[in-house]
Amino acid sequence: MSERTGLAPPKSPPVRLTRETVSGGFKKRVIELSGQNMDSCYQCGNCSSGCPVAQEMDILPNRIMRLAQLGLKDDIIHSATLWICASCFQCTVRCPRGIDIQGVMDTLRQIALDEGVDHFGPDQIDPEQAASVPQPGLVGVYRKLST
Amino acid sequence: MAKVAYYPGCALKERSSHLDTSARDSAVRLGFELDELPTWTCCGAVPPVSEERVMNLVAPSRILKDVRDSGRDVLITICDFCYNTLKRTNYSIRTNEITRKRINAFLADDEPERDYIEKKDAYWVDYTGEVRVVHLMEYLRDEIGYGNIREKLKRPLSGLKIAPYYGCVMLRPQNEIQLDEPENPSIIEDFIDSLGAETIRYPYRTECCGSYLSVSSPDASTRLCYRILTSAQQHGADAMVISCPLCFYNLDSRQKAIAEAYPDFKPIPVFYFTQLLSVALGVDEGRQGFERHFVDVAPVLDMILQGSGKGDRT
Repeated sequence: MSERTGLAPPKSPPVRLTRETVSGGFKKRVIELSGQNMDSCYQCGNCSSGCPVAQEMDILPNRIMRLAQLGLKDDIIHSATLWICASCFQCTVRCPRGIDIQGVMDTLRQIALDEGVDHFGPDQIDPEQAASVPQPGLVGVYRKLST
Repeated sequence: MAKVAYYPGCALKERSSHLDTSARDSAVRLGFELDELPTWTCCGAVPPVSEERVMNLVAPSRILKDVRDSGRDVLITICDFCYNTLKRTNYSIRTNEITRKRINAFLADDEPERDYIEKKDAYWVDYTGEVRVVHLMEYLRDEIGYGNIREKLKRPLSGLKIAPYYGCVMLRPQNEIQLDEPENPSIIEDFIDSLGAETIRYPYRTECCGSYLSVSSPDASTRLCYRILTSAQQHGADAMVISCPLCFYNLDSRQKAIAEAYPDFKPIPVFYFTQLLSVALGVDEGRQGFERHFVDVAPVLDMILQGSGKGDRT
């Protein structure tokens, strides 16, 4: 269980836009892979308020969208948010701008995996659970969270 | 008896075989047969996000193409993950020309290798999304009709209060799935109604149960399931009804972990919709695999068997 009990995530540090932090081509690649127009996000926060696992995230979904717009790749691919998103599509359903936010999240996960940030390996699973979880759970977790 | 092509998927073959058995039993009572495909593979459980991962669409496309090649145009699935994957694959084949061409190139390429399949046509026909992927629940609603189910009931579940649980991938993403309203669905409610039971309205019916987080972050899933189950209980539910093997695992087996984390938690039985259907249609309750549930279903089952506790409930 998360140590934090409230719903508010920790106050995120201010972002620094410099030549070192802004990754050239990152935003273009996210848009190309996901097919989503991220720039239409106007930060209403509907995705974060509807997200069932927002409580466990270090960067909320709407902030992920903003960081992606700015091309801050490192902040995104090293965040815990990518690995706690359960791909439930609640954000996609509720986005007033029609952005498939879950699709963007999947894209970011894919980019992180391509960069070698692997989250969940076969050695990390509880053997008792491996023997009882229905297969879609096992296939799903390895497809989403590991290379 | 009408035969309908049926894709069980991996979970229904082993770890959730009681969902498969009860679905087949109910189908026979309702006058159709779930005709399992002679050859099928894993569908991949989650569809890939981008064009670059088009390879991940090949397995589900092959399943769909085999259905078309056998001369049928409807494929029934029950597992929500399979339904989501097959339906979304079909959607991208129908709507995206590049995907369609690339997939067919892959499929045509490996066709000669599949010599274990009986082939009718000597020439190749591209798969263009002709097959309609249908959830069993959808088939019951649109083809069988809830009215027909009501007429065939042997043991109506009157008096039983059931909370429907949709989960995530059965309804979403809505533009590709188009099964029901993603935010205010009614398909399971109407189904419960046709069994003669009472539907419980509660706010968490479309909220995610944690899905595969159950494996990678079990605590997050425990918290989500606690919220869903207690909300249903607070609104008066005797039982939950679901259709997805992974939701079943999370909402049923996870109640052990929930009880450890939250001392105030009281267990609530979880049923597959096919189990309730099959019991209501008069199939022997010994065939439902209730012994595989973590939470004891006996209190609810007794209510059903004793005329659903008519009269003794206020």
